[in-house]
Amino acid sequence: MNARLIAMAAMALGMAGGCNRPDSSARHEAGAAGARPITIGVSMMNLSNEFIVMLNQAMEDKARELGVTLIVNDAQRSAEKQVQQIESFIVQKVDAIILNPCENEASSPAVDKALAAGIPIVNVNSETRSAPTAFVGSRDEQSAQIAMEYIAQRLKGQGKVVMMHGFMGQAAQLKRDQGAREVLARQPGLKLLADQTAEWDRAKAMTLMENWIQSYGDQIQAVFAQNDEMGMGAVITLEQAKRKDKVIVASVDAIADALQAVKDGRLDATVFQDARGQGGGAVETAVRIVKKQPYEKQLYLPFQLVTQENVAQYVK
Amino acid sequence: MPCPTDKLRTWLRQFGLLIALAALVVGLSIVKPTFLTFANGINVGRQISINGILAIGVTYVLLTGGVDLSLGSLVALTGVVAACLAHPGQYPTVVPVAMGILAGAVCGAGNGLMVTKGRVAPFIVTLGTMTVARGLALVISGGKPVSNLSAPFTAIGSGDLAGIPVPVILLLAVTLVSWVFLRHIRLGRYIYAVGGNENAARASGINVDGVKLFAYTLCGAMAGLAGVVLASRITTGQPNAGVGYELDAIAAVVIGGTSLSGGVGGVGGTLLGALLMGVINNGLDLLNVSSYYQQIIKGAIIVGAVWLDKRQES
Repeated sequence: MNARLIAMAAMALGMAGGCNRPDSSARHEAGAAGARPITIGVSMMNLSNEFIVMLNQAMEDKARELGVTLIVNDAQRSAEKQVQQIESFIVQKVDAIILNPCENEASSPAVDKALAAGIPIVNVNSETRSAPTAFVGSRDEQSAQIAMEYIAQRLKGQGKVVMMHGFMGQAAQLKRDQGAREVLARQPGLKLLADQTAEWDRAKAMTLMENWIQSYGDQIQAVFAQNDEMGMGAVITLEQAKRKDKVIVASVDAIADALQAVKDGRLDATVFQDARGQGGGAVETAVRIVKKQPYEKQLYLPFQLVTQENVAQYVK
Repeated sequence: MPCPTDKLRTWLRQFGLLIALAALVVGLSIVKPTFLTFANGINVGRQISINGILAIGVTYVLLTGGVDLSLGSLVALTGVVAACLAHPGQYPTVVPVAMGILAGAVCGAGNGLMVTKGRVAPFIVTLGTMTVARGLALVISGGKPVSNLSAPFTAIGSGDLAGIPVPVILLLAVTLVSWVFLRHIRLGRYIYAVGGNENAARASGINVDGVKLFAYTLCGAMAGLAGVVLASRITTGQPNAGVGYELDAIAAVVIGGTSLSGGVGGVGGTLLGALLMGVINNGLDLLNVSSYYQQIIKGAIIVGAVWLDKRQES
């Protein structure tokens, strides 16, 4: 009986394996051109996060294009693990390091250690308190400002809004909260009815939205969710409650699902963060530093509002 | 076999929990009139359905004196497996549902085999499975959510029958079947016997390993069902879903009066435990209590409910 079960399980996994995307290998063989290929150590915050995966793919593509070798490590959200990974890059004598920091404070020692060892370090996507050799990313506050301003414009400056927070205390949550509140302060007609965390999670966002509908009913005119997962949760719940036509939903990240929903007219707006620009820019900057070419010390890539009008250029 | 005082005790346990639940419901209804409405009752039911199904499943394992920490990861893995097979026009809906449940059952059987034949402590076995299953979910999905699921599949999470959401019906069905099974079917009674005193059970001719293997497999299958419901409800297979769900499920079981050392308790209490947790969560959201304080209040109420329970018992 057990053998049969295992065979069936293998079948289930095999069938499911259909959606597996080919895993990009961590090391790329460099082109034969240079004497010794440039090697860059990369520590990514969390390779189970869709956006970080996109960022990593952009880096791999750029590395292949430039003929440099990447050694990619996943810090799995642990700043402590991240510091260890940088230490091992230093021992391996890599030419440069790209750090996608887990945390502002706790990942700072990674930057200090690399600089002390004389290895240039480029921060990508998020910042650390210690200043790296270069930074490539976006201002997270801006994403929330763009989304909230879109809501303000749609409501003509008058209306009641609810906000879904990410995981409380994380850098992205704090900055997106700050950005959203800046707009609210400028727009006295916008009232924040309630705000609560759904921990970046779609299922939790659905629960929260159900409870808010129960509590506030028709009062809610717009939802700002600090990421698309939660925004999608709000959309699904509002659709099930047959209220989506009365409520505007805007969120941040422009993940594939959200772009499709914008295209289908379900989600009103999302904010595009340029993963390709950030990942590619980080590798390019690192290579320029190693080759002693001029580089931007701080490269900020702007966020872009995505609505039904311009979604076509973002959907692959 | 339970003697009459044991039965009385079990009743008192559930009674104590009912008092706590009733106090909460009355309190919330006074403070927030929108709480005590049919629509909100449906909301709470829908919100507890996934935790409830997981909790019913893990009740079997806890009754044998074991534990299962892999549930949250199994929810993610089985949800991803189901989602991969649930694209429009791919297979009839029964295929992703069955494969999701089957994947959970196989992982559960793996847990059970390692615990019984491998003689490894359940805590360690299921901790390992937790990591392996999470990794498998990420491999199968390529680290990205699996979206674009067919309408019949998503109807499991969003649809209703006669006004009752499908997930709630599934939870009630699973609870009812388990209640009958654990009380009136011989294998169900054996689960209590194994958890109560393993050596005595073995001496009286019960196939202890077989009973345990059954409990872990069933628990895995329930996690598979929960994973299917979650994927359907959120209309994607999320490789990151379900983190920490095992602890919520175990909390619901313990609040419901099932002993962590096995042999005592049942699924009726588990359902009440899940309901209590759901009501707390719903009530705090309705009252718009700050996220920071919510965590403190939730923890305190859970411990308080168990404490009240113990007082009833003595």
